[in-house]
Amino acid sequence: MSDPGSAPRDSAAAILLAFDCSGPSCSAAVARGGRVLAAAFETRPRGQGERLLPMVGEVLAEAGCGYADLAGIAVTLGPGSFTGLRIGLATARALALATGLPLVGRTSFAVLAAAAAPARVPGERLLVAIDSQRGDLFLQGFDAQASATEAPWACAAREAAARLEGPLLLAGSGAGRLAEALAAQGRSCRIAEAAQLPDAAVLARLASLAPLPPAGGPPPAALYLRPPDTTQPAPPGRGAR
Amino acid sequence: MRVLGIETSCDETAAAVVESAAGRGGRILSNRVLSQLEEHRPFGGVVPEIAARAHLDHVDRLVAEAMAEAGLGFAELDGVAATVGPGLIGGVLVGAMTGKAIAAVHGKPFVAVNHLEGHALTVRLTDGLDFPYLLLLVSGGHCQLLAVEGVGRYRRYGSTLDDAVGEAFDKVAKLLGLGYPGGPAVERAAAGGDPARFALPRPMKGRPDCDFSFSGLKTAVRQAVEKAVEAAGPLDERARADLAASFQAAVAEVLQDRAARALARFAAELGRPGPLVVAGGVAANRSLRAALAEVAAAAGAVLVAPPPGLCTDNGAMIAWAGLERLRLGAADPLDFRARPRWPLEELSAPVPEPAQWEPAQ
Repeated sequence: MSDPGSAPRDSAAAILLAFDCSGPSCSAAVARGGRVLAAAFETRPRGQGERLLPMVGEVLAEAGCGYADLAGIAVTLGPGSFTGLRIGLATARALALATGLPLVGRTSFAVLAAAAAPARVPGERLLVAIDSQRGDLFLQGFDAQASATEAPWACAAREAAARLEGPLLLAGSGAGRLAEALAAQGRSCRIAEAAQLPDAAVLARLASLAPLPPAGGPPPAALYLRPPDTTQPAPPGRGAR
Repeated sequence: MRVLGIETSCDETAAAVVESAAGRGGRILSNRVLSQLEEHRPFGGVVPEIAARAHLDHVDRLVAEAMAEAGLGFAELDGVAATVGPGLIGGVLVGAMTGKAIAAVHGKPFVAVNHLEGHALTVRLTDGLDFPYLLLLVSGGHCQLLAVEGVGRYRRYGSTLDDAVGEAFDKVAKLLGLGYPGGPAVERAAAGGDPARFALPRPMKGRPDCDFSFSGLKTAVRQAVEKAVEAAGPLDERARADLAASFQAAVAEVLQDRAARALARFAAELGRPGPLVVAGGVAANRSLRAALAEVAAAAGAVLVAPPPGLCTDNGAMIAWAGLERLRLGAADPLDFRARPRWPLEELSAPVPEPAQWEPAQ
């Protein structure tokens, strides 16, 4: 292989590798200048740690390139499953270290909003709702350009429904639950069916259209949206665990 | 042969590079350990989610520092090893993915290391010890006696039926208000105490097997504390020191008895007296080491213990275990599953095979 440090940095030719495992899925994609060269997506609530790097190898091979041809790495930052988003971020940070490439992070909200934006009709508010898997939803609203209009927030579906006004287009794994809560209050909404789970192909396209940060900068932070649970765990092991 | 090792299975984020020396043993080229002690101290124990977040925040930097200190580029490595279990799975995954990613980029073999095998093989790195040996593995999560007959070849003689010994130290430290982590705190307090003042039980002593039990001892300490408080009010420094010393003496006597049983069985089965190796965080306790040296000597065996810094979790032991497997021709695929539970006896000896790792594209 050629020296990873000699990867092309010219943005028109810049090839980006992107992946996501922040939700109950695992996906990877390669893109250049907004065009997706190869992509894979699997619904997979568990086992992302086993699947991710082989999948990355597969999309690189399909795109006809290797790590040495890349100009940058992109990853979703969450919110989502704590373990899943860490699998993605740990892999991305290590790839960036091992290749010397810049690392780009996008929130799962931004990736889902970009996926849902084409389905939006004028007058609708685009709202991304991600199921926290702990009973409530992670939420963020976006405008017509898929730019965030508010800071992310967390809330139970019923409370969220009570706080929302106007016509809504929902995206994300929590869209169904939020739609049910809205219906229970006599409200209707639309769901962007193509934007339920974050997809690395969308991330790769987005990130390959934006300027890259410098390599070796501070890595993007995980978006947990929730402090760690500090209730005392059971002892870590009993004899041979 | 030079191997990078990554460890993130509990509350230490660590990365190290080791190389095999001519002849036996190895050389540590770098060994970076970042303890998360302060982050967990307010909770009196390791909080898994805090640990996992901290590992993600620091492990790549520690790897970069370990490589820089070793004066090596990734291309100059012969392999990348990472702990993939047993341990707190959120943290394990962070280190495992870090190791897999570096191996993938540079087309190096990846070795999925069992954390306990890292502890078990450390004396071969530091002392060039030959197989077989008897291993007493004592840490916050583990307490077991094993015959170590080769890389991946472990036979368990006995293990704890309840608490690990390090866990007992932590709980007693909490009862005595000595702080966290309990091991060093109890050892410090015990140094000035009278080990005969409080009569505490010696659980399992005299039993024909090689098992342990510490929950009854912990309960006895609690009752002794309650009685002392009832009689004379809050524990003074003297009482705390005496209780710590009495507890530590009870642990020492139990470990001696269990190790003596295991040494006899080892000698009968393998035809040699030891050596007895003690590893794991609790092996850093000087008073317990001295007690074990006595029992080894009585059996005609030598006691071998890694230096204290290599008894607690570190990356060098992971790098070394990876190196031992690699030089026997073993490597692991990038889809290797990280696991919270992974007893040593489930390991197998490496069978030289064509390597299965993915070559660089």
